[in-house]
Amino acid sequence: MEIKITNLSKYYYSGGKTIKALDNVSLSIPANRIFTLLGPSGCGKTTLLRCIVGLEAPDTGEIKIGEDTVLSTEENIFVPTENRGLGMVFQTYAIWPHMDVFNNVAYPLQTRKVPKDVIRSKVEKTLRFVQLEGFEDRPATKLSGGQQQRVALARALVAEPKVILFDEPLSNLDAKLREETRKDLRIFLTELQITAIYVTHDRIEALSLSDIVAVMNGGQIVEMGEPRDIYLNSNHRFVADFIGRTNLIEAKVTAQEESVTKVDCAIGSFACRKRADLNPGDNVTLCLRPEFIRLKRGGASEAQNVFNGQIESLVFIGEAFEGEIKIRESQIFIKTEPDSDIRVGDSANFAVDPDHCLLVIR
Amino acid sequence: MVNKRSVLTPALIALVGFLTVCPVVMLIFGSFSTGLGAFGEFTLDKYIQGYTDPELGGIILNTIIFVLGSSFVATGLALLLAYLNTRTDIPFKFMFRIISIIPMMIPHILFSVSWVLLLNPSNGLINLFLRQIPGLENLAINIYSLPGMILVEGLLDLPIAYLILAPAMASFDISLEESSKVCGGSTLRTLFRVTLPVLRPAILAAFILSLVRSLASFAVPSVIGMPGRIYVLATHIYQSIATGFAADFGKAAAIGMSVLATSITLIYVYRYLTSESEKYVTISSRGYRPSVIELKGARYPMFGLVGILSMILIVLPVLVLLYTSMVPYSMIPSAKAFSMMSWKHWIEVINDPISLLSLKNSVFLGVFGATLGVTLSIFVAYVIVKVRSHASGLLESLSFLSFSFPGIVIGVGFMWFFVRTPLYATIWTLLIGYIATYLPYGVRPLTSAFVQVHSHLEESSQVCGAGPFTTMRRIVIPLLIPGIVSGWILMATMFVRELTLSVVLSRPGTEVLAVQIFRFAEDGLWGQLSALGIMMIIISTALVLLATLVGMKFKPVEE
Repeated sequence: MEIKITNLSKYYYSGGKTIKALDNVSLSIPANRIFTLLGPSGCGKTTLLRCIVGLEAPDTGEIKIGEDTVLSTEENIFVPTENRGLGMVFQTYAIWPHMDVFNNVAYPLQTRKVPKDVIRSKVEKTLRFVQLEGFEDRPATKLSGGQQQRVALARALVAEPKVILFDEPLSNLDAKLREETRKDLRIFLTELQITAIYVTHDRIEALSLSDIVAVMNGGQIVEMGEPRDIYLNSNHRFVADFIGRTNLIEAKVTAQEESVTKVDCAIGSFACRKRADLNPGDNVTLCLRPEFIRLKRGGASEAQNVFNGQIESLVFIGEAFEGEIKIRESQIFIKTEPDSDIRVGDSANFAVDPDHCLLVIR
Repeated sequence: MVNKRSVLTPALIALVGFLTVCPVVMLIFGSFSTGLGAFGEFTLDKYIQGYTDPELGGIILNTIIFVLGSSFVATGLALLLAYLNTRTDIPFKFMFRIISIIPMMIPHILFSVSWVLLLNPSNGLINLFLRQIPGLENLAINIYSLPGMILVEGLLDLPIAYLILAPAMASFDISLEESSKVCGGSTLRTLFRVTLPVLRPAILAAFILSLVRSLASFAVPSVIGMPGRIYVLATHIYQSIATGFAADFGKAAAIGMSVLATSITLIYVYRYLTSESEKYVTISSRGYRPSVIELKGARYPMFGLVGILSMILIVLPVLVLLYTSMVPYSMIPSAKAFSMMSWKHWIEVINDPISLLSLKNSVFLGVFGATLGVTLSIFVAYVIVKVRSHASGLLESLSFLSFSFPGIVIGVGFMWFFVRTPLYATIWTLLIGYIATYLPYGVRPLTSAFVQVHSHLEESSQVCGAGPFTTMRRIVIPLLIPGIVSGWILMATMFVRELTLSVVLSRPGTEVLAVQIFRFAEDGLWGQLSALGIMMIIISTALVLLATLVGMKFKPVEE
């Protein structure tokens, strides 16, 4: 089911100051896709999620879930959480400690006054789906973290909600389990063909799990798109920096050419991917991802985007070398093939394809 | 919802503020005014009279010795018990739970009386027994002395000190001790250089709470101190309002002010320390059980010590009272004594209208008062934990204030207040006074219960389609039940045995059990006292069992 959010704002007042948790946010979340809100803590992602589910009352704006308007400050509509028909997995899982697994999962059906035999078969089916068959009579608190997480998921799914929401559900799991659960979750959600809204501050989680990522900062959505697109073609310095390890170098536009935009910066002059909206003299930021900086052996045959630097540090991490090189007064992160024979102290030439020299706005 | 909350907080602040601040204000006004009421003409006479009394110096000295001594006894024993329980391989650990909980059901005044029956110099049972030994015919161990008072008060404060120290000891991070051992410290050196210093805030907190309780104590000073003509501030204040023809409430208030000020200061130090000790003692997240220290040969001797302590704390008082209630006069247990046993004292008590009235009043106050008190505590705890604003911080401080109230002092303040209302000399004075004075005992278990109800648990129920009422019924209340039950038990047992406040507020027609027992003790009617005392213990125990059963019944067993 599609979700449409229009001009949503939420303010907090503390100590005489107004904090904009959500600053006039408008967006539309397509049906049956996994949609992720990504951002640092305090960026408003959780507030936005809580507004959609109805646990938070925004100051202005409108939210439509499918054809139903669940919130409109103008028309004075506020559908309470319990009538929005959604499912949600909380960061703490919120498993009720005084109930067993069956009653935890059956609860949404019980509140909807579903007949008992239907409840039993639906709970069984959902528990089978999350691979918790036979756990019905266990006290919920006696489960491991990963199992509690799946109980929470089963509870969110059991009433076949139109939309399911996740508030950092993996952050309490250890690294290995987190990776497995992330993979399982993607399979579950794709199989179910359900609209999922997922909140996280973990970029790898966002990139690997989602169909669409929206990066938030300061109560606003900075950029939104498919994970690969956001990673490779970001327009904003904040997004480029947040979504992956990168080198950000202050630069000045020198010329617009037919297929490239040329800039000058502390480590030399670069031909970059064309951005027609810039004029010579504009201040921009050059964004170089470490994995696109190639080590160049032998003489410099290409004249474009080659620079010479001294290797300051180098760490072998198995699938690659990670290191820092010094060029003039700047330090640049690199990531290069594990079979390179470079050593600390070496001086080497490096090159970047113009298409991987991204110009972003400050 | 938002609107309801914004009304709730100020309403509770007004109510709790009225309950706790009002008696203090009345006390201050009264101590500066002439006449019997709180609003006479301004005068400093009461202070001058009170503080120039030549006897006061000796009384203050007695008070300091009594309060410090009994707190040392209580904290020292509690420390030993907590250490033995949490850190050693001592057998039968369930004994420690019994020691920490059961004494709450034995009222302080009965505990004090049982020691009088055992160790009074003329016909105390232990004295009578020892005098049979040749060479000891003239022996008279005298409980009516400062050491006697210190011993009994120390034993009374032991459970509360233990309840503070045991959890701190149990959550102690063992790696701190291990690193001391790695650095070459011996077990004893580690204990004194690492373990005890790290636990210092908890130890101090237990000590300070014992100070406050022994300073406010009236049972021990009145039953054991007064017959030996050893007065402390509590009994000194009682004397000026209860004996002689001209009760001087103003003078009592003037002296009471310094007791109250000391008590409030101590309680705020205690609060500071407990918030410190939460920072200090880290709960180990690695799931390590602290390594157990082997007592080896000392295992059973140490257990013997614990066994004797629990005998003294629980079994002995009940047995002595039961025995005394059956025999016609004080005599050591013998074939003759058992042949003379009868229900005479019991029948006398049952036929005594005042004793019956006090029974009825105390049961009413216990059941109805605790129910009302817990209801108020639920709302107060809700605001403190869930609303979290400046106003709720104020409410928390207010609701904690009465923790420091010495009953006999604050009772005077309440009396001055109620004398101006139609409630004076009715059972409602006692009810309101009890709830005000013992509010923290209801609020504390409920705040910890509310803390456990994470807001996600409620929100998740809403998302699952449950309205506020269903969420309350199926999620919040079931999770609060343990807190409600323990709050109710604490308040009910406190109310049934309440003495210090009642001694000031009780009037003909509103007698309560502890006051009636106190009168029996003054008149030396030990047999009737014991019979009524046993009834009192039975009532307390019955209330505890009842509450536990109700708690289990309401525990949501969902099909």
